[in-house]
Amino acid sequence: MIETYGLYLGDVERDAPKELVLLSIIAQSYFQPFSLQDNLLVILTALTSGSGVGFNRAMLLRAEGGRLKGEIWLGPATPEEASSIWEILSTPGIGYLEIVEHNRSLLSRHGGTLTDTIKGLSFPLGENGLHIPARAVERREIVMVKDGRNEPEVDRRFLDVIGVEDFLCIPLVMRDEIQGEIILDNAFTRNPITERDIKLAAICGLIAGNYIYTATLHKRMLEMEKFAAMGEMAMYITHQLRNPLVTIGGFTDQLLRFEGDRRKSHRNLEIIRAETTRLEDIVYKLGRLLKLEQKPPAPFDPGPVLRAALEDPGFQAKSRGRQVKVRLPKTMPRIMGYPTQVGEAIRNLLDNALDATPEGGTVYLLASGSDPRLFIVKVKDTGRGISDKDRERLFTPFFTTKERGMGLGLHFVKRIVESCGGEIEVRSREGKGTEFRLCFKKEERGTDE
Amino acid sequence: MKTQKKILLVEDEEHLCLLYQEELAKEGFKVTVANDADQALEALRKDRFDLIITDIRMPGKDGIELITHIMGQRKDIPIIINSAYQSYKDDFMTWAADAYVVKSSSLDELKSRVKELLGSQ
Repeated sequence: MIETYGLYLGDVERDAPKELVLLSIIAQSYFQPFSLQDNLLVILTALTSGSGVGFNRAMLLRAEGGRLKGEIWLGPATPEEASSIWEILSTPGIGYLEIVEHNRSLLSRHGGTLTDTIKGLSFPLGENGLHIPARAVERREIVMVKDGRNEPEVDRRFLDVIGVEDFLCIPLVMRDEIQGEIILDNAFTRNPITERDIKLAAICGLIAGNYIYTATLHKRMLEMEKFAAMGEMAMYITHQLRNPLVTIGGFTDQLLRFEGDRRKSHRNLEIIRAETTRLEDIVYKLGRLLKLEQKPPAPFDPGPVLRAALEDPGFQAKSRGRQVKVRLPKTMPRIMGYPTQVGEAIRNLLDNALDATPEGGTVYLLASGSDPRLFIVKVKDTGRGISDKDRERLFTPFFTTKERGMGLGLHFVKRIVESCGGEIEVRSREGKGTEFRLCFKKEERGTDE
Repeated sequence: MKTQKKILLVEDEEHLCLLYQEELAKEGFKVTVANDADQALEALRKDRFDLIITDIRMPGKDGIELITHIMGQRKDIPIIINSAYQSYKDDFMTWAADAYVVKSSSLDELKSRVKELLGSQ
């Protein structure tokens, strides 16, 4: 016989052992998107829900800047509220999501919630002579307090806030780093805290510590990635700026030494002018990197844009010695996007195609409107092609195989096409050539056409 | 009269080539320009050079690949790396070169390295 079950088992029976209920509640949190706040709430829920471990209240303190600070306190605020909550929670059919939802609503209420009463609570860490609760996490010990008023080691201010004499402190520690502390009590039922409760709470503490630690690591990783990307960007910019600067500096020095004749001086000045223009272009492109069109795409006729790209004087001059084959449909549909930017993208692709194609080679500009929804533009060449390794990084900013290239052209092309709501694909074979395929959305018309 | 020392300059920036050529010629060197690694290897097959100055980032083979090739054939030619990147200095392959000069608007350091390595002027 074969029996199958879904991976997501759902809620366990209400009379199941506490351990199973607890595991089930925590396991279900893994089916939700990771959110530190929600996951911690799940742990606190597991600790306080009647079907879970069943403490009356759970307080979370987080370690931050060398202090232990009040963050969440979950549970009913008054005995009346407690009895009504337990009534709700003992309704048949109440499951994990309902419990979490209920606890979220408890938290989001304004005023009169338990969390409000611990918002300013803060204890120093890392000092000598600490009182409970800070001492528990500092010493990495679970501490059970009974008759707190008679214990000088318990912080008086804390006793005033919590308002009970018996409570349990569970330190949250991960890889020896202090993450926080959970404090549990049975303020309303006055049930004694058993050894089994302590063991279950300890497991919850481990998991909560792990959640906080993971979230911290994740944050650190994102920051490191950001720094690495910035470092790479700075390196490319340095290179781009240094070459024109060396040229400008070198030829200026020659001028200052009054070497050569008028003609040479004039030549030097022209080089300096050209390199200054190049620097301006770099600065312009860097500015563009940060800002592209923000208006919504609008319909336009791509015909004039494509023809203008072919008539561009730069393109005309550069294409000498190479064949340019063009196939455009006689009537073109209107497409969605930005004409100026699309023109820039096409010019950029044509320019790249010419760069890659040796004399005698062919560059193609093809367009087709036969697809019912899409207008497709292809820029093809019979040039050197792109290696698999380079293709992966083709659209990454600052990735370039050209000495004078900024590595921003294809990145802009992709961003332009995507900002129009379109897509770009590339196919290439080394030694054979490359094809860029741009799919633009056609203007949507009513059904009366 | 001393024979003129010959330098192979591997650099794909047109204006930089012109600048280096003029400045090194003034110091009494004869400079041949190669715009990429393949042209450089071709020039090395045809002619004898006393020193090579090479960029690292170039289209096709980069300067490090070029150095590896040259080391395999002619270990005796001194090589100066001239790059816009400081960071390639950390790449151990560039240690094979005799000097590493970061591109700068003053050519003094490059010139003095060249003179040191050629032991002249």
